[in-house]
Amino acid sequence: MSTEAIPAEKPRRNYNALFGLTLLALLVLLWVLLSFSTSSFASANNISNLLRQGSMIAILAVGQTFVIITGGIDLSVGAVVGFATVIAAMLINAGIPVFLAILLTLLVGVAIGLFHGFGIVKMGLPPFIITLATLTSLRGIGLLMTNGNSISINNDAFQEFSRNSFLGIPNLFWMVLLVGIPAYVFLHHSRWGRYLFSVGSNAEASRLSGVNVQRTIFMAYTLSGLCAAFVGVLLASRIGIGNPTQAEGWELQAIASSVIGGTSLFGAVGSVHGPLLGAFILATINNGANLLNVNAFWQRVITGVLIIVIVYFDGLRRRSGK
Amino acid sequence: MTSTAQDLHDTPVVAPGRTILELRGLEKKYPGTHALKPVTLAFKAGEIHAIVGENGAGKSTLIKLLTGVMPRTSGEVIWEGKPAALATPHEAMALGINAVHQEVVLCRHLTVAANMFLGEENSRFGILQQRAMVREAQKIIDGLGFDLPAHVILGNLTIGQQQLIAAARATVRGTKFLIFDEPTAYLTRKEADQLFTLIRRLKDEGVTIIYISHRMEEVFELADRVSVLRDGTLVGTRDIAETNDAELVRMMINRSIEQIYHKEHLTPGAPIVEARNLSGKGFEDVSMTVRAGEIVGLYGLIGAGRSEFVTTLYGRHRKSAGHVLWEGKDVQINSEHDAIKLGMALAPESRRDQGLCLNLPVGLNLNLPIYKRISRNLLISGAQERTQADRQIADLRIKTPTRNALASSLSGGNQQKIVIGKWLAHGAKLFIFDEPTVGVDVGTKAEIYRLFSALLSKGAGIILISSYLPEVYELADTLHVFRRGKLVATHGFHTADHEDILTQALAEKQEKLGGKT
Ligand SMILES: Nc1ncnc2c1ncn2[C@@H]1O[C@H](COP(=O)(O)OP(=O)(O)OP(=O)(O)O)[C@@H](O)[C@H]1O
Ligand SMILES: [Mg+2]
Repeated sequence: MSTEAIPAEKPRRNYNALFGLTLLALLVLLWVLLSFSTSSFASANNISNLLRQGSMIAILAVGQTFVIITGGIDLSVGAVVGFATVIAAMLINAGIPVFLAILLTLLVGVAIGLFHGFGIVKMGLPPFIITLATLTSLRGIGLLMTNGNSISINNDAFQEFSRNSFLGIPNLFWMVLLVGIPAYVFLHHSRWGRYLFSVGSNAEASRLSGVNVQRTIFMAYTLSGLCAAFVGVLLASRIGIGNPTQAEGWELQAIASSVIGGTSLFGAVGSVHGPLLGAFILATINNGANLLNVNAFWQRVITGVLIIVIVYFDGLRRRSGK
Repeated sequence: MTSTAQDLHDTPVVAPGRTILELRGLEKKYPGTHALKPVTLAFKAGEIHAIVGENGAGKSTLIKLLTGVMPRTSGEVIWEGKPAALATPHEAMALGINAVHQEVVLCRHLTVAANMFLGEENSRFGILQQRAMVREAQKIIDGLGFDLPAHVILGNLTIGQQQLIAAARATVRGTKFLIFDEPTAYLTRKEADQLFTLIRRLKDEGVTIIYISHRMEEVFELADRVSVLRDGTLVGTRDIAETNDAELVRMMINRSIEQIYHKEHLTPGAPIVEARNLSGKGFEDVSMTVRAGEIVGLYGLIGAGRSEFVTTLYGRHRKSAGHVLWEGKDVQINSEHDAIKLGMALAPESRRDQGLCLNLPVGLNLNLPIYKRISRNLLISGAQERTQADRQIADLRIKTPTRNALASSLSGGNQQKIVIGKWLAHGAKLFIFDEPTVGVDVGTKAEIYRLFSALLSKGAGIILISSYLPEVYELADTLHVFRRGKLVATHGFHTADHEDILTQALAEKQEKLGGKT
């Protein structure tokens, strides 16, 4: 073979960037189409709304992506969000300072993630099973704690936060950057990020190379739990109540965003910017469908079709690249 | 499976000695790599045709085109006088072209018997015919002279044994044209002999055979003709009687090698590691010492317990008795992490299962053990990450378009170089190399042995496991022979001859099912 004969390309880096650009182009295209076909899409109000809708799924998708890269899955994140709204509401109503209440809620998310790590690493349970178990039991625990009622939060400043904007951009969207930028640095420029990939690719080889596989898995689920609890805080602020049944099905939206963003469910392939874009593409489709008066049931169908189309073309490209 | 090899050769379409398969300008481009430049070559019916060449020369690519695993970029393949598209593996098999690939491509979770008939189970072997299937498979395996059980799960066999099963599988499928891609890489001499017997028998039955190997003596032992590939180009074809070792090597690498086994005898220094009466799964009561500046070789049959011994030493498996001294002090090694912290490095036996993250870049694979060193706090120094990877790629001459290419896109031998290369920058004191040169070409082997010397002169010690006797024989200062989990003999450098060592390794009949080596 001769490596010089054909201009050497940089398969991986370029591929990632290219795929990101494709998604961005798709997002822009959707926005342009919707601004022309509806009168209200491009209004400041609607755009802020869309950003708010997309932000929370986007943050969940980042945590989910860490887990999927290791070859796992976290089905619990929707339930963790709902549970976190309850915790946050109860703590705030109990008169605990808001920042402390938020910190404690985040710690609950960390604890749930650690529990998942424990179940997978120490008890040898498949990720699908342990997180599925958490999914149902957390909703149950939340209902027990609230007797099935919603807890309304009596703290205006806390609720203001999610409604306000900074520099004309909704606070919730700033939160995406707050999570996304460190996550990007962590995944692509830190040692532990590399370990997430290597464990997802071949745990045994990583282990023999001195990578602490168990710790890496603990870390992935903990980060996912943390992201979910954070989203719970944001949601509590947005809706002003704590309710364990909130965020129903968000785990699937997070997984879908991640997959649309180029994450491979087989592990070892993924990025941070992909899932973020994926989440906003999904949000745009839902928002656009609403404005176009498309039946809400169709939105679900469209989302399904979109997942198949994007993942299929991504797979085609990857295969032809071999 | 409906017919055995025997039935199939009743009606030879092509008379022995005439061209059965012809390549006309066969070419393959991968993105970034021109793997095979137009190759024109004819194979004669009934010959054993060896193909040799450096790592990444395009040998496996050629095979993948012939077996329909990969589509060709351009060119023609003429089979028995007619052009063949060879678009799918199925088409190749229907013509009678089969291959035993470099990496075993069978289902590890199925039984040996199920694998033998995979894709060809007919109604005779329906769900209720499991036992008949096992019986049939056992008959074939026994008939080939392999000492292997048909009812066990394939994944429980060693790689070498799996390779034999792959060979057995290929022979029962109505084969007229059979390709072996480095079949002996993981085999011991005894198993290799069984395989050679099989190959010769197939030849007598009229099967045409392509045999790819990096071991010259095998080529001279088996082949009628030999073709040399270099950089995707066919350099030439020779009758085996008219060529010699040196000429082939020169054709392969365009220069000559005076000495493959580079050996400097250093005076051994202080002991680095001492195993005292160590026992564990697969081995028992093994004691040995590795000192600074020496290579300790472990020879034995597949399943003799050598790999289990070193992985236990490395903390991957629990020891059941005995203790380990590191630089004279008693140590507890409970995990590979402990071992690495002390200063051990292990290049494991199976590059696919233990050695590589195949769907990740070459650079990441090479740097995996040293990320701690090339990062400050948690952040990786991008510049160091790049220079470290590029240095190993240059030192070991790893053929890859860039360090960002996925490890899976490299040729087998080049993948093997990553498994070794990732430890070279690590600065360990004890290096354990388990079959380090499997599938590596002659030129690079010489390079790797030179690197061994460099490690030794820096005060490191090496444990070298090889199923290829000449390698341990020429390199090891101390040579331990393993048999059935026990250390049965110890020799100094060249103090015993090949025959004695082989006898000690064999002694009794090998168990029917050994664990992993
Ligand atoms: N799937 C692939 N994608 C991209 N490049 C590939 C792929 N497979 C092989 N190559 C490249 O094609 C070239 C030839 O590879 P091939 O596997 O044919 O070598 P080989 O002669 O069999 O070497 P070895 O002795 O190491 O097995 C190599 O440079 C390799 O990197
Ligand atoms: Mg090859």
